[in-house]
Parts: sequence; C-alpha cells; structure tokens
Amino acid sequence: MKTIAVIPAYNEESRVEVVINDVSQYVSEVIVVDDGSSDATALNAEKAGAKLVQHVENCGAGAATMTGIDAARAMGAEIIVTIDADEQHNPKDIPALITPLKEGRADVVFANRFGQKNRIPFVRRFANGCGNILTFFTTGKWVSDSQCGFKAFGPKAIEEIDLKMSGFEFCSEIVRETVQHRWRMQQIPTKVLYSEYTLAKGQSFANGIKTALKVLLRSFLR
Amino acid sequence: MDLTFYQIIAPVIAVVAIVYAWSLVGRKKKTMWEGILWTLFWGLVASLAMFPNLMNWVSAVTGIKDRENAVFITFFGVLFFIVFYLVMRLEEMEQRQTRIVRKIALRDSGLDEDEKE
Repeated sequence: MKTIAVIPAYNEESRVEVVINDVSQYVSEVIVVDDGSSDATALNAEKAGAKLVQHVENCGAGAATMTGIDAARAMGAEIIVTIDADEQHNPKDIPALITPLKEGRADVVFANRFGQKNRIPFVRRFANGCGNILTFFTTGKWVSDSQCGFKAFGPKAIEEIDLKMSGFEFCSEIVRETVQHRWRMQQIPTKVLYSEYTLAKGQSFANGIKTALKVLLRSFLR
Repeated sequence: MDLTFYQIIAPVIAVVAIVYAWSLVGRKKKTMWEGILWTLFWGLVASLAMFPNLMNWVSAVTGIKDRENAVFITFFGVLFFIVFYLVMRLEEMEQRQTRIVRKIALRDSGLDEDEKE
C-alpha cells in the first residue's frame, strides 16, 4: 500500500532534514508542509528529497496538516502518516502504527505516548490530560493521547477527513471526525523524546487555554 | 395559569432548535454527543421559560433581587451576544483566509485536485 508521510513544519531548519531522512526509510514518499517559516525549513526539506508544499503565511499546525493530507490524496496515498518535525517521535514506530491499517483492522491509528515507559515532564502530562478530558467532553470519545501529532490514516479516513480547525485544536477535531464517520480506531504505544528544544517548541500554557476555548466554541457553533 | 408571550415562544423555538439539531445528527453533520449537548442547552432555555420560579432559586443563589440588577444582567447578556457574534465572524474570516493560503500552496505545488479537474 502506498504510504506517504506528512510533516507539518514551522521554523524547523535544524531538525527537518534528519526527520525526513529517518521517516523515508518507512514510507514511499514524504511531504513537508512549510507553514510560512521565516528560516531555511523549506530549503532544507527540498535538499533532503521531500515533496515541498509551502504556505505563504503561517496558518497553524491544523491547516498545515490538512494541506499535507490533501497533497497526499492527490499523490494517490493509501495510508498517510502524520509526524511532527521536531524529532520528538521515533520513526521506528511507523511500521507498528500502520500495521492495523494494512491488516484492515482500523481506519485511524493514534500514537499513545503514555502507553509505554517514557520520560514525560509533569507539565506535559498535566496539559495532555486536560486536553484528553476536554476532547472527551466535546466528542464523547476517550482517547488516551488525543493531542499527539503522530497518527496514521487508512483509505476510508483519507477519503472522508476534512479538518477545518487551523491551530492545535485539530487534534481534538480528528477525534470528532473519528466519531462522526465511525472510523475504527486503534491506539499504539510509541516512544517520545522530550528535549529542551521540543519543550520550547511546544504549546505554552496560554496557547493551551486558547486552544481549549476554540474547541469548546467550535463544538457549540457547529 | 396566564402564559406570557415569552413563555409560549421560547419553548417553541427550543423544540425547533432541538429537532433541527437532531436532523443534523441524522444527516451526519453533527455527532450524537453534540445533539445531546444542544438538547440540554435548549431544554434549559425552555424549562426556564415554562417554570420561571426556577429563577427564584437562581436569584437566591446569585443575589439578583432588584430591578437595577436585572437591567445590569440584561445588558450584560446583550454585550455577551455581540461578542459571541463578533467571535463567530472572526472565526469565519480566519477560516476563509486559511482556505486561500492552503489552495495557493496546493496550486503552486501542482497538487490542487480542483485545478486538475
């Protein structure tokens, strides 16, 4: 099955090449969506051999992910893997993530950073816990790691997915899409590596509050 | 029992809103969960209209006992509605801008499926 990786990237010039090289070993093609970076992310992504799609303006992780999914669809993807560009995920987990899709047991697979022993700072555990509770409140579905960017989509999900949220709220929206379209879901424990870099790049507390408000507002406006 | 106009119209609107929400659930535009949340919200609106004495309890809890406070709360509600409307419009505009940026990105990469058709 043709597997394409989608990497949304914003100012990741120092990491994106390594991630592309590591991910390339497990997928047919790699798409990098440069979300209006002001550094050399786009240049480095092309140098590493990825298909580059560039936003002229920074729109957020959700918009970049959906652009990547659209691009992968146009390239005939049968499986799409989304992965962060900051090296926090281990590409060696990709085969385990896509196995349920290949075997026809799932339509969407969520990575679960809390499913195995990982060194995760307390603040991150707390923030992700709040994200999980909020996602459950708005969608009615419990996902152990709803805010993780490492996911895999099978043919049914690729055909039906339509994300409208631009920022980090898209993670909760994917859970909503799972409920809405009745996708079969699986969760696979994966490795995660938190470094000073990934912690600095991640969401701030204020951003988390903003994301939470947006999720609540959108679920009410629909 | 003398019913006021509000006591008649609010439950009617609530019923229409609930039916509409569940028709969206039926058409798969809303999830079952969202249907339940909408039902609870409009159910509360209808209950307050039909049983205004419920407000006695609310006023006892919140301390809104005189007209001045009622006026203050009413205008607070109006302002809340205006902010809500503005937020909705901003959301719409942000989504439109994102759609344009995404479309340009896909077109420039030769991957826009609409263009291909």
